[in-house]
Amino acid sequence: MTSIAFNARLRGALLAGAGIALCAAALAPVQEVRAQGAPGELAWADTLPSGLDPHVVFDVPMQLYMLNVYDNLYRYQGNPPELVPWLAESHTMSEDGLTWTFTLREGITFHDGSDMTAEDVVYSFQRVLGLGRGPASAFLSYLQPENVTALDERTVEFVLDTPYAPFLSAIPLVSILNAGLMREHESDEDWGSAWLASNAAGSGAYAFDPASYIPRGNITVERFEDHFLGWAHNDDPIDIVRVPFIAENSTRILALLNGEVQATDSYLPSDQVERVEAADGVHVASDESMRVMVIRMNNGKAPFDNVNFRRCLSHAFNYEGFIDVILQGHAVRNPGPIPQTLWGAPADVPGYSYDLDKAREACDLARSEGAPVDRTVSIHTQSELDLTLQAAQVLQGDARQLGLNIEIVPDTWANMTGSMGSMESTPDMWIHWVSTYFVDPENWIGQMYDSQFHGTWKASSWYDNAEVDELLRTARTVTDEDTRRQAYEAASRIVIDEAADIWIYNTIQMRGMSDRIEGYEFSPVGSGAEFRTLSLTD
Amino acid sequence: MLLFLVRRLILVIPVIFGLLLLTFIMIRVVPTDPAAALAGENASAEQIAAIRAQFGFDQPVIVQFWTYLGQVVRGDFGISLYSNRPIGADILLRLPATLELTFVALLVAAFGGIAVGTLAAVWHNSWFDHLIRIFTVAGLALASFWLAIMLQLLFSMELGWLPLRGRLPSGMAPPAYITGLYLVDSLLTLDFRAFTTALGHLLLPALTLAFGGLATVARFTRSSLLETLQNDFVTYERAVGFPNHRIVLPYALRNSLVSPLNQIGLLFGGFISGAVVVEAIFDWPGLGSYLVGAILTADYKAILAVTLVVGLIYALVNIAVDLLQGIVDPRVGGDL
Repeated sequence: MTSIAFNARLRGALLAGAGIALCAAALAPVQEVRAQGAPGELAWADTLPSGLDPHVVFDVPMQLYMLNVYDNLYRYQGNPPELVPWLAESHTMSEDGLTWTFTLREGITFHDGSDMTAEDVVYSFQRVLGLGRGPASAFLSYLQPENVTALDERTVEFVLDTPYAPFLSAIPLVSILNAGLMREHESDEDWGSAWLASNAAGSGAYAFDPASYIPRGNITVERFEDHFLGWAHNDDPIDIVRVPFIAENSTRILALLNGEVQATDSYLPSDQVERVEAADGVHVASDESMRVMVIRMNNGKAPFDNVNFRRCLSHAFNYEGFIDVILQGHAVRNPGPIPQTLWGAPADVPGYSYDLDKAREACDLARSEGAPVDRTVSIHTQSELDLTLQAAQVLQGDARQLGLNIEIVPDTWANMTGSMGSMESTPDMWIHWVSTYFVDPENWIGQMYDSQFHGTWKASSWYDNAEVDELLRTARTVTDEDTRRQAYEAASRIVIDEAADIWIYNTIQMRGMSDRIEGYEFSPVGSGAEFRTLSLTD
Repeated sequence: MLLFLVRRLILVIPVIFGLLLLTFIMIRVVPTDPAAALAGENASAEQIAAIRAQFGFDQPVIVQFWTYLGQVVRGDFGISLYSNRPIGADILLRLPATLELTFVALLVAAFGGIAVGTLAAVWHNSWFDHLIRIFTVAGLALASFWLAIMLQLLFSMELGWLPLRGRLPSGMAPPAYITGLYLVDSLLTLDFRAFTTALGHLLLPALTLAFGGLATVARFTRSSLLETLQNDFVTYERAVGFPNHRIVLPYALRNSLVSPLNQIGLLFGGFISGAVVVEAIFDWPGLGSYLVGAILTADYKAILAVTLVVGLIYALVNIAVDLLQGIVDPRVGGDL
């Protein structure tokens, strides 16, 4: 075909059509672009809880929400975390360890202006037990709703069925709700859950703003002037904090660099640390936490029911390589289930080293004992967390040198934890972290290796050892800390010797942060996301 | 035309039913127990069983599906297992953001693609045509997440011309709610500052989403127009002295639009799925990011609801494209 001469009118029309989008760009006011956030407002780009009910949702992001919007009787502060009186000014425990009495402070008000009394505390604990979700699992086995009573306006009594030493440690799991407000919004015996899914009934340092709430999108909180602690500790507190959920790491870091947000979440990837440190006006806050990365092994399934096969895999993981190269040194080797920074972790147990000769020996021994060492085993990783895939690949590579076949199965947290109701449906291996919900060895070794918890994701190794069960149950029921420490150390030695799982490291949590933020205080519980102490410089 | 429309709308019902059934079975045959995840850490087998019964997970799949279908017919998508909020409300909160993004991307891909494709056909074998060929291959080959990050780095971080993320700057109130589409609402309320700000935020995600589609439409327009320009009626028009722009725009291009229009209908489905990635990178509070969260938390009713809504929109957009084809091409229009 001969080329068609193109006249000016046609060219103009078509170019105009193609250029509409580019012309529109010129309309966008450039002064909006270099957003620094509104003055006096903090944008804290962290992960959000899936819901707003602190008695239902039980995950790490919920800690950010509940520590700001709600209060609890006792609370963890600092690093290492110390349990301090919060709404309660004191407590007593009976000699038999069954009766606990808490005395509330005076002058505590909720966000709606009503006074907090012991009735609100009773309602809150009864609601947790009645719903039977999330944090209830820490109390249900030894506390009945009718055994939480108000002795007077400021005194609450708990009578336990059996002694439970970590009871006080677990107290911060329960946020205290405004009972009067909740009862106004209850329907069909739902404990007000439907209403609380979009609202709040707290007394915390910051009040939730329902109007700006986008589930999985944004939470905005406003400073509560009448918080019971007052604001004398902070000369220049922040009035409004927005918590946008930015799913993509890259976008979150760019937003920090250009000043749109003043903080990222506390899981800054190692390969981004240098970039943030090198940029002007921002830095990385890094703190050793209590969050242990672990490769679980289903001890109930062959060949994992053979202790030598488990030892073989424990020697086949390149701990130093993973920590030094992939995490660029931003982690601390943790040879057992309890974080090394917590009492109960035996200091004299080095754990397993990366040693392929020892691994080969152990595997040969397992093979000679009849373990089906050569079958392909699967390791499930969390698709949303790259580190789990990288850990699986490190193990897979070295296991291949031993002639072992490991198949990597990308999965999601919800799918995996939902499949752990029975030994058969639990994966051969899977990778996750055990975070700090309450600061007691019970949170780690107690719930991971006591056989009574089989069927829960925390006990998904299906480890079964009567001696360990006995030690853990003793540690749970005696109140003397020295006896408890000895029991946890003894139990740790056994589970490490029997290689119940592969424990890799204790996390150093890293948060990208603007230099404008002052007053940042990290605690493993909540990861430093309490806004009370923060201020923003200009 | 009206009969065609009614017939097509009725046909949407079995399509949506099939889509729901398929998705429901796929989600429920996965060997996972949402009750265990809901119960939380350290929950006993009894607690998990109680939650299973409370939510009906212990019923046979077909019974669960039937119950769910009854709810959906009544317009009730159920309660999210995780946020405990009505799923319909959460979807309504996010749907306008996705619709605005995908429709603007569709407009950019359609008009941009037709314009570029027409230019490439008219300047056949010129340097411009070769350039467009490179551009269209790139458009089909480039991963949208890579393009998105590159656009962010260039326009937001280096040049500072366009916003990095979100629909509006942090703390800026959206225009008064009428449709939920910020561009439309700001124009209806004569809030021009909100309009330009929302448009600025929309440009990068819309361009990212539109890029591959624009390339596809351009290729189809180019080849279709080139074919049309060789028809006898074009030779005749040229012989009687019609100026070139009269030949190309009203006659040749109109005759060439059937195939690009088909592509535009198909593109919409791609845009909705592409929005999952684009929304995540640009922090766009739409259905895509909601769906990702629902999948990661095994919130199966939320997954089903999003599937249903997207399926319905996809079906409606394709009906609209069919009607448009009837308008553009009377030969097709006569069959409607």
